[in-house]
Amino acid sequence: MPKDHKRINGPEETVPYNLFTKLNTKTLLTKFEEAVCNGKRTDLRVPEEHRKIFLKSGIVSQAKGSAYIELGKTKVIVSVFDPREIPNRTDYSLKGEIYCEFKFAPFSCVKRRQHQQDTEEKQYSAIMKQALESTVCRHEFPNFQVDIYALVLHNDGSVLSAAITAAGVALSHAGVPMYDAITSVTLGIQDGIRLLDPNCEEQTLCEIPISSKQESSHGVIIVSMLDTHEQISQFYQYGCISVEDLSASVDVLKQACKNIVPVVQKCLVKHVLRTLNEDVED
Amino acid sequence: MSLCEAEKTFVLHGVEENFRVDGREREDYRPMELETDIVSHAFGSARLRLANTDVLVAVKIEVDAPFPERPYEGKLDFFVDCSANATPDFEGRGGEELAVQISNALSSAYRSPNVFDLRKLCILKGKKCWKLYVDILLLECGGNLFDAVSLAVKAALWNTQVPLVKQVDIDGNNINLDVSDSLSDCQRMDVEKAPIMVTVCKIGERCVVDPNAAEEKCSVGSVVVAVAGRKISTVLQTGTGSLHPVTLLECLTLGVKIAQRLDTALWDTLRQIKPNQDVGFLK
Repeated sequence: MPKDHKRINGPEETVPYNLFTKLNTKTLLTKFEEAVCNGKRTDLRVPEEHRKIFLKSGIVSQAKGSAYIELGKTKVIVSVFDPREIPNRTDYSLKGEIYCEFKFAPFSCVKRRQHQQDTEEKQYSAIMKQALESTVCRHEFPNFQVDIYALVLHNDGSVLSAAITAAGVALSHAGVPMYDAITSVTLGIQDGIRLLDPNCEEQTLCEIPISSKQESSHGVIIVSMLDTHEQISQFYQYGCISVEDLSASVDVLKQACKNIVPVVQKCLVKHVLRTLNEDVED
Repeated sequence: MSLCEAEKTFVLHGVEENFRVDGREREDYRPMELETDIVSHAFGSARLRLANTDVLVAVKIEVDAPFPERPYEGKLDFFVDCSANATPDFEGRGGEELAVQISNALSSAYRSPNVFDLRKLCILKGKKCWKLYVDILLLECGGNLFDAVSLAVKAALWNTQVPLVKQVDIDGNNINLDVSDSLSDCQRMDVEKAPIMVTVCKIGERCVVDPNAAEEKCSVGSVVVAVAGRKISTVLQTGTGSLHPVTLLECLTLGVKIAQRLDTALWDTLRQIKPNQDVGFLK
């Protein structure tokens, strides 16, 4: 891990105190049973139910476009800046480029995050870029680059999905030409139970196999979809999932992505109405 | 490598006819060569040549302290180095993005304990564990890097010999490890289920496996499927295009089918390798 010596870094080798608490002695199985009790999750959702979404555009005044999203406790801000010439590039590229930077705020997770991007954040940036590249009409701004910055204020699971959905809104708010509205949903699988839009604890529980049976699947899937074109612009999965479980989950995720679209549309309509009203007042 | 429109059409029509530029069918691989134990300073190594793609993987082992949140587990890290020998594009920091992509793909493919059990690398709970550094050197790029790298990594991990700890002495905060000197005492790791990645590339309306550099230029997008045993451990999309859900599922099924064939072929090859076989680049 490279260190930034220009900053005052926190002390090295610290451990979050939560590791020493009594709760930590519970086995994974009891934790999972508590998380999904009688078909209800801790926040009283059924397994395949999405959390409520709050989405707002235009919250960063300095940026060309911006959006703020809340999925339960998960909070993410995304801002998009004016296209600029691609730095350090000698040849001419026919298509514009997208630069994504995904960052966790130092206080957003249980463990403190460093100021510099770690490998997880770099990976998330790459996935975000992958998702947005096929959404934006990149031929409209050749040799230019659009910068997208996502900052997680509170990580309570499904952060990457939240960031991608918000980035779609922020891009439209910035007036960047796009093919379609993009929505993204995360799904966790554990022991045959599909948990849509998992929170932080559910997501960690899905990463490790609980049942000793070889055939049971576990893992996390993140899908981003373009609604009207019915295209998957990004698909990422980790864990250990059988093909049958995966194909069944894709159907669930497809529907879940479709369900979010009205929220995105409503947010954009609100933005248009607001701009119109401002114009009338002028 | 840049292709003109006519060349792209040629490749595309070939794929449509199930007769690719080099005479292969859509589900065929190019010839592969595999050697193991070729770096004497490494604990395990492998070199894989897939037509023009050349990958060298070496595994180094060091003693480290486990993560406080996972005291029973060892560590496994992947580092990819894109040598400027491969293509001039990798000069300076040019290959960094690709390197990060490949190493991230590997770490998420190896993440599940069902795939590769890190608990076997623990020496003393919460205090000492083995850390495996898997260094991947790309010597030549002829397309299909993900597949070649994953096969070479699996072979190198199969070849890796973890030193045997005979005794652990704890004296206050000091921990002394007594490691066996004899090479024959080493442990092999269980890589039965280590993932194999298959890049399924969509060209026109069809999906092909093992694309060469020219075919990669023609594709709208590809799906990398990492298969461990009979399950999928990681899926990620590369390239700039998007896919219809039906196409995606087709790619996944094809990927699993091909990966299982590759896995059998890899094990057959590994079993044939005899100790003290002639190895090297000039062979």
